[in-house]
Amino acid sequence: MSKQSYDGVAKVFDYFAVGDMRRWGPSQRFLFKNLKGRILYIGIGTGQEIVNFPPGLNIIAADLSIEMLKRSDKRVKNYSGKIHRCQMDAETTAFADNTFDTVVTVCTLCTVNQAVSCLQEIKRVLKRDGELLMFEHVLSKNPVYALVLKMMSIITKYLQGTHLDRNTVANIEKAGFKIHSHKNVYLDIVKALRAHYSAE
Amino acid sequence: MILKVADFFIGTFSGALIAKVVSYISPPFMPMLTGGLIGMALALSLKIALMPVFGAFEVMIPVSITGMIVGMSSGMLSNIVASNIVITSGALTGFIVATTIHFSNKNLTTK
Repeated sequence: MSKQSYDGVAKVFDYFAVGDMRRWGPSQRFLFKNLKGRILYIGIGTGQEIVNFPPGLNIIAADLSIEMLKRSDKRVKNYSGKIHRCQMDAETTAFADNTFDTVVTVCTLCTVNQAVSCLQEIKRVLKRDGELLMFEHVLSKNPVYALVLKMMSIITKYLQGTHLDRNTVANIEKAGFKIHSHKNVYLDIVKALRAHYSAE
Repeated sequence: MILKVADFFIGTFSGALIAKVVSYISPPFMPMLTGGLIGMALALSLKIALMPVFGAFEVMIPVSITGMIVGMSSGMLSNIVASNIVITSGALTGFIVATTIHFSNKNLTTK
């Protein structure tokens, strides 16, 4: 999906995500509670997850859409730490190698054009002893739920650029990460994942 | 807690509504297939209406499954039994789908 399309989605993004934030808040706060060091937040969108970050952090947040970034203004200002925002593509960021201690993504890998190349870019900018925290939705292993997700994905790809049928867990490992914590948040679709650099 | 109760309401309400519409239309030609298609179309509208309030996946999964099952069964039943029975069976099916997903979720998230 193009940058212009994401700019269009920004107008209705908050409206459609209200219910998700109500459901996922506690799980996100639990995932983010130990955030530390230099943090890169890929795909900040309108910044809905900022309220779930612990206070006082120093975060660099990136998003492809300028309209999304504009809509995150209020939430960024209300945060009791520092959030520096920049407009860039998650697959080709401008950061140097081994820059960040932690990289955070929230429902980002379903939206980027190439999930594996985005993860490889994250691996490049993440320090060797750094950690990748992901709050993502993936394709279910249950055939009934998977059928529903595949059918809905045809519509959401077109309307929102969101792929509901991606095997993100396999993509993370394909990109060279090792998942060390894996928690289902809703069925086996919405997951809170923690991964680090794989030596293999 | 309120959202957990809402999950059962979503299933029951969508089942009853889909059954009511399908029984009202009472498809005369290939009722099972036509009912299934009407059910899926209605489920899509319900998803768009309910997702912003109750959460995308928590609405999408039960409503899609309910739409397909209730649409097909209501299509078949609408020409045989009274509409009240069709609506009740639709609501019951929606409730059973919601309950099944509730326990499936409980099992998967406590692992």
